[in-house]
Amino acid sequence: MNDTPIPKASETASSESQVFDHLELLSQMGQDFVSTRDLQSSLVRAVQHITDYVGAEGGALFMLEDEDTMLECQACVGVTEITGLRLPSDQGIVGRSVQEDAPEIIRDAQNDPRFYKGVDKQTGFTTLSILCAPMSVKGERIGAIELINKKSGDGLFDDSDLHLLRAMSASAALAIHNARMAEALVEQERLARELELAAEIQRSLLPSEPEDDFPVFGINFPARTVSGDFFDFFELPDGRICFNLGDVSGKGMNAALLMAKTASLYRCLGKTIEHPGKLLALINEEVCETAARGMFVTMVGGIYDPKTGIVLMANAGHEPPLLHSASGEFSELPAEAPPLGISTMLVDEDGYPEEEFDLEGGALYIFTDGVTEGYKKDGSELGAEGVKEILSKHQKDQIKVRLNTIAGKIARSGEALRDDLTLIGIDGAAAQVAKKAAGQSENMNADIGEGGGEGQVLGAETMSSLRILSQPNRLKLVRELVAETANLAGCCMEDTRDLVIAVDEALQNVIRHAYGGAPDGDIVITMERQKEDLVIYVRDHAPTIDPSNVKPRDLDDIRPGGLGTHFIREVMDDVEFLPPPKDGGNVLRMVKRIKQ
Amino acid sequence: MKHEIREEQGALVVAFNGDIDLQSSPEARQVLLEAVGKNMPILVDLSGVGYIDSSGVASLVESFQTARKGAQNLVLVSVSDGAKRVLQLARLDKVFTICDSLDDGIAAVG
Repeated sequence: MNDTPIPKASETASSESQVFDHLELLSQMGQDFVSTRDLQSSLVRAVQHITDYVGAEGGALFMLEDEDTMLECQACVGVTEITGLRLPSDQGIVGRSVQEDAPEIIRDAQNDPRFYKGVDKQTGFTTLSILCAPMSVKGERIGAIELINKKSGDGLFDDSDLHLLRAMSASAALAIHNARMAEALVEQERLARELELAAEIQRSLLPSEPEDDFPVFGINFPARTVSGDFFDFFELPDGRICFNLGDVSGKGMNAALLMAKTASLYRCLGKTIEHPGKLLALINEEVCETAARGMFVTMVGGIYDPKTGIVLMANAGHEPPLLHSASGEFSELPAEAPPLGISTMLVDEDGYPEEEFDLEGGALYIFTDGVTEGYKKDGSELGAEGVKEILSKHQKDQIKVRLNTIAGKIARSGEALRDDLTLIGIDGAAAQVAKKAAGQSENMNADIGEGGGEGQVLGAETMSSLRILSQPNRLKLVRELVAETANLAGCCMEDTRDLVIAVDEALQNVIRHAYGGAPDGDIVITMERQKEDLVIYVRDHAPTIDPSNVKPRDLDDIRPGGLGTHFIREVMDDVEFLPPPKDGGNVLRMVKRIKQ
Repeated sequence: MKHEIREEQGALVVAFNGDIDLQSSPEARQVLLEAVGKNMPILVDLSGVGYIDSSGVASLVESFQTARKGAQNLVLVSVSDGAKRVLQLARLDKVFTICDSLDDGIAAVG
């Protein structure tokens, strides 16, 4: 394009062709700005084109710099090289033209008081005539173009030259403006791309979505592309679950970077350090050492044991986690230690204070203030009460459903979030069920030992319970009860028959071996329906036996004793002696899966 | 549990009626051993026995072994499904000769 000969106005014959050439020049200039990323060289070519077109000896393009206080010559053609020359933006002919956003013509410079002769003295050049036109777009001042000395005729510009320059400087202004916008856009896109990459890495730091029955669930919705919040949870080799939630002060890239650092440290250290308080102290040291001034992290870290429902937790300045008991009450667990990154002096030698508590079938929720301070659809804040209301309403739902319901109240598609939205929940319901099942033998003392038969397992139904003396003539009654119960539980005929055999044989063993034939021992038989299982407990108060001595005997040696144990193992899906109850005796637990 | 003993075509039929369990098996054992002592082929009629436990099975085994020593035949007749299941659990369903009817039993011991 540089090679395209630029027609000179002075050489054009008619006004019609002049207009045509003029338009062509403008179009070329515009294309030049768009097609090259080098604004500087485009400016030089533009000045060259304009200078040639108007037929001037020299031309210079000034742009406003330093918050519009200075004008700097960015491009210059002709006899005098003044590129880089800087002038106060309110002085001289160029300054005035820019300030007033109006063109200037100094037809006879040598006889015009407005002309400053200093430059001529320095350069030895004689300025005869000056044209100057401002460059501005929609009131945004960019600079001005100045032309010196007309080549033809008397060397003086006239009004038609001024009109021409004015039109062309306006076009140049537009081209520069567009080029700047394009540059800003490219930069913006580059930043957006980088931000999206950062967000992707950040998302990869979050745990992947667990199975539906996993007791821990978390959500993180960033208000911007990247987030200063985070949460994590992962299983330790012994089945316990390490979890955390944190909130980095501030937003944007620096918060996101500190978040990435803290989250990575936690995940790495959490695999070996089983004390959240100690772990937080270590991370605190690290963050204090390297984080930028004034940044800090509030964080809750802990370990949850899904077998026992027990949470071990430490809180570094985060807002109080919410405990929702199985019976529906809420209580808050306030932090007793400062956030991470403030000072290592504030933390005890043993680390951050830890607390240990049993969820007892309830749930623990930890969230950032983006949750409580998030706006609902009607524009009001969700608030702590709003959160509790949702949790109460959905207490029986899966933990995932509960958290998604809360998030759904605040995060609506197409609407920006006020703040990062992060929450994590730990559901103790499953642990409670497991624990009750494991603790059955102990509970048998109080409940079944007294002849009662309270269901000890959540969702279990005690279908029948009978307390008998250790006498053989009681067995027929037990068999009938077992048959009726199995029948009611939905067992098929064959399974019912097998259940009768198993219970009968178990009682025989108690009567003959545990009580040694004594007729005054007591035996409690309890049958429970636990989902698809029929579970039978046989409880006695005979001296505690060593289960390893109870073995099915060799079938080749058919004699009384031992054969019954063999029957039991043969027909039941699961048979075990539970740990001996505190007040002595034995509990045999037998499970039969009910076929559908 | 009740029992009835009668001779039929040169064999001794021991018919039990009721459950043979821990309560009744000592009695069943005594009845069976006494029957074996009579030195005749024995048909144990279990048609009236809905339930037999491991102790009842043990009594059957003991009398079966005693009979074998004296080269006597002892077969089980009309075994209910419940009793068959117990024999099967004890892996004795192939040890005993089990006949569907008294006639089959007499033919088996004859």
